Amino acid sequence: MKIENAQFRVDGGIHPVYNKHLAKDNAIQAMPLPSLLRVSMSQHLGAPAKPVVAKGDTVLRGQIIGEPAGFISAAVHAPTSGTVKAIVQAPTATGQSVAAVEIEPDCEDKWRDDIKGNPNWESLEVKELIDLVSDAGVAGMGGAGFPTHVKLSPPPNKTIDTLIINGAECEPYLTADNRLMIEQAENIWTGCRIIMKILGAQTVRVAIEDNKPEAIEAMEMAMASTEGNVAIVKLKTEYPQGAEKQQIFAITGKEVPSAGLPMDVGAVVENVGTTLAVWDAVVNGKPLTERVTSVTGTPVSKPGNIRNRIGTSYGDLIEFCGGTEGDTAKIISGGPMMGFAQSSLEVTTTKTTSGLLLLPPKLVTNYSSTPCISCGRCVDGCPMYLMPCELSQMIEAEDYSAAREINLMDCIECGCCAFQCPAHRPLVQHMRQGKGQVMIMMREEKEKEAEKTKD
Amino acid sequence: MHPVLTTTLAIGGVGAACGGALAMAAKFLAVHEDPRIEETANLLPGANCGGCAYAGCADYAKAIILDDAEINLCAPGGESTLCALAAMMGVEASAAEKKVAIVLCGGDSDKAPRKFAYNGIADCTAANSTGAGDKKCAYGCLGYGSCSRACPTGAIEISKGLATIHPELCIGCGACVKTCPRKLIHMIPASRTMHILCSSKDKGPIVKKACSVGCIGCTKCTKMVEDEAITMQGPLAIVDYTKDYTNEETIEACPGKCIKKVPAVAKAMAGRQGSTVD
Amino acid sequence: MTEYVLIIIGAVLVNNFVLTRFLGICPFLGVSKKLDTALGMCGAVIFVMTAASAVTWLISRFILSADGIFYTDLQYMQTIAFILVIASFVQLVDIAMKKIVPALHGALGIFLPLITTNCAVMGVAILNVQLKYNFMKAVVFGFAASLGFSLALIIFTGLREKIDRANPPKAFQGVAIALITAGLLSLAFMGFAGLVK
Repeated sequence: MKIENAQFRVDGGIHPVYNKHLAKDNAIQAMPLPSLLRVSMSQHLGAPAKPVVAKGDTVLRGQIIGEPAGFISAAVHAPTSGTVKAIVQAPTATGQSVAAVEIEPDCEDKWRDDIKGNPNWESLEVKELIDLVSDAGVAGMGGAGFPTHVKLSPPPNKTIDTLIINGAECEPYLTADNRLMIEQAENIWTGCRIIMKILGAQTVRVAIEDNKPEAIEAMEMAMASTEGNVAIVKLKTEYPQGAEKQQIFAITGKEVPSAGLPMDVGAVVENVGTTLAVWDAVVNGKPLTERVTSVTGTPVSKPGNIRNRIGTSYGDLIEFCGGTEGDTAKIISGGPMMGFAQSSLEVTTTKTTSGLLLLPPKLVTNYSSTPCISCGRCVDGCPMYLMPCELSQMIEAEDYSAAREINLMDCIECGCCAFQCPAHRPLVQHMRQGKGQVMIMMREEKEKEAEKTKD
Repeated sequence: MHPVLTTTLAIGGVGAACGGALAMAAKFLAVHEDPRIEETANLLPGANCGGCAYAGCADYAKAIILDDAEINLCAPGGESTLCALAAMMGVEASAAEKKVAIVLCGGDSDKAPRKFAYNGIADCTAANSTGAGDKKCAYGCLGYGSCSRACPTGAIEISKGLATIHPELCIGCGACVKTCPRKLIHMIPASRTMHILCSSKDKGPIVKKACSVGCIGCTKCTKMVEDEAITMQGPLAIVDYTKDYTNEETIEACPGKCIKKVPAVAKAMAGRQGSTVD
Repeated sequence: MTEYVLIIIGAVLVNNFVLTRFLGICPFLGVSKKLDTALGMCGAVIFVMTAASAVTWLISRFILSADGIFYTDLQYMQTIAFILVIASFVQLVDIAMKKIVPALHGALGIFLPLITTNCAVMGVAILNVQLKYNFMKAVVFGFAASLGFSLALIIFTGLREKIDRANPPKAFQGVAIALITAGLLSLAFMGFAGLVK
């Protein structure tokens, strides 16, 4: 085990005000059960789960209430024991209306009977381990929510040699992963070893930004006695260093090809929260029913890192943190760079809710944008080496095919461009809109192709 | 030799050689192309609006001749083009009634409130993907004018956050239908005047909270018309435009106040084109 | 060898056909809206100008000059003869290409008739005679001139594509801003004037 500095650095990226001090030193607190949990069926990337309980059913904690609907999908479990009050259509953090199961807790918090841990997991087959992860409904907890069992079953023609555990947490304000590493380093490391075994990866890198010295120390202690090609990599603090493609480059110097996946360069990146969920799923046999969310921002009375049941409403979370002091102008689910602004506190937490951020009025300005002055700051800032200025003008002129030709689809929507723009142009918003339109174009092309082959 | 003669001989010779070469080329290197394609292209209006779903008039002409495409796809050309094409192709003209677009939503900013202040790109698709749109009603017109920008004739007006189509300007190309992220724009026969201006698939109480002119699914209107000209699709009443619906009493009777009579489109069209449509 | 290099540099940069000699302005403004069509046009122009220089040089040397087959100086008929020859030559190529290489015809076909008597093509033929180039030099000059045309056209198309997406004041929209851009581009090419002594 050794600690090394990252050898490479992606050009681009930005240095926003991090404001991590607000919640960085506050130990994880478990939140008591709220009076109602609304569990969304769309907590992961891919098809929403199918509700399998009905109104009036009693459920136990860890019981499946939503079955995966397809390969890229994940199971949803009851976060506590209680009664199903209703199955409703409720908005998610992105505003889409999807099915959700409302559970009224009976406050006994009784686990499903057949929960069985596997303390000697090392004797289990790879297949069994993947099934355990899949049954527990683990999905990427960094924010994207990609179903973990899918990521852990790469096609046989791809060999994975490097496993990267992502503890960068480059989003400003958020501190949940930091606290997890400080408090549960041992368990994260066990989870990491489980994933190593599943993937057959020989090299392990734990990536942590150098503004989290305590986390580095804790992980170092946990990993100290390990042999083999294992190291902690200190990354220079920079946003978006936690994005997987940028992180892979910073650590291995390999660039994920355009439109490719990390497995194309033999790497898999897992978030520390996900790693911990894998540990919980395999060693304790427990499905994913809770997660740690940073509730932070200057208007929050007592900012903190809250271990909450999935399905807790944002209102309950804020209340648990002592409510607000002073005015709040914006509530964001996730971090300030890539999170989603919320219009209602009725929205509930999911497996991907890494943070809930409240911003005071002085940080929320309504800019009006002016024409591009071709200064190129967005190009300098883009960690994917794109030209956001060009792209945004093409998208504004609705020339989506031209934007597609200059690799619009490689955009990771990190927001560095919009952050940098002196003309306050909504660059990342344009990218998002353009990507949506290109997606429609691609679907139409596929349909046409399918029709042609049918003939 | 006299200079005039020399010059005539030289230039004439060159000309004759060139002409001969061209004539030979035209004879031996000729490529046969169906002359009807050009004739067909000449019959089309040449506006290249793309309403027929082909890349411009020339492409459509090619498709008519080579791929047996339907001849009634050209909306701007209207009846005259259809007849000309039919005469040329020697087929019966299937009566394609002039169609116009309509926005099936009546909730302007006075009637349908917004749920948050949207400060993003002024485009409906962008607005719709930000927190699923800033309008309280999840089905109503967002009013950021994507359809109006797509309209080649400027027939769509945005006022008070609601798109309204002026049927007398609409050429029926259907460009707007594709741009609406909420699928509110429909193509209907130009002669129709009675419409239910709501597309909300929410149940009554939710609709009432979100909009003061929404269909609350009371089914009253379905009972007042004959021949099932209005049917219920879940909690939403939908006009079947293939059937006859002229009962103006429904306007007053509708508790949701979402039934509207739009001034006779057919008449306006007739005035402009000099012929009746139906 | 130096002479040939100088001919190329001279025709491409210093005396650029479009931006300094102001020849071939119609396709320069006409087909500069999209890069795809501009490239097609460039291909057609390169082909026609190079071939036309060769053909017109031969006509000029063996028919029109005093040493030609008529032993009379017919240079005063130059313009008419060149128009005649170039026009029919382009037509011939058009017909032949359609039959022999339909793929190439698909790409360049619609541009060929457009440049039958383009002033740039005519210009290069007449300049060849005026500058008293030999056959090889004439062909190289024709080729270099068409390269210069292509360079100007591609730069201008790139600019116009960007201008199309920008939002200039209403009075400047469309052709107005395109002409201003062309003027500025021409000024920029003036900078090459001191390149060759």
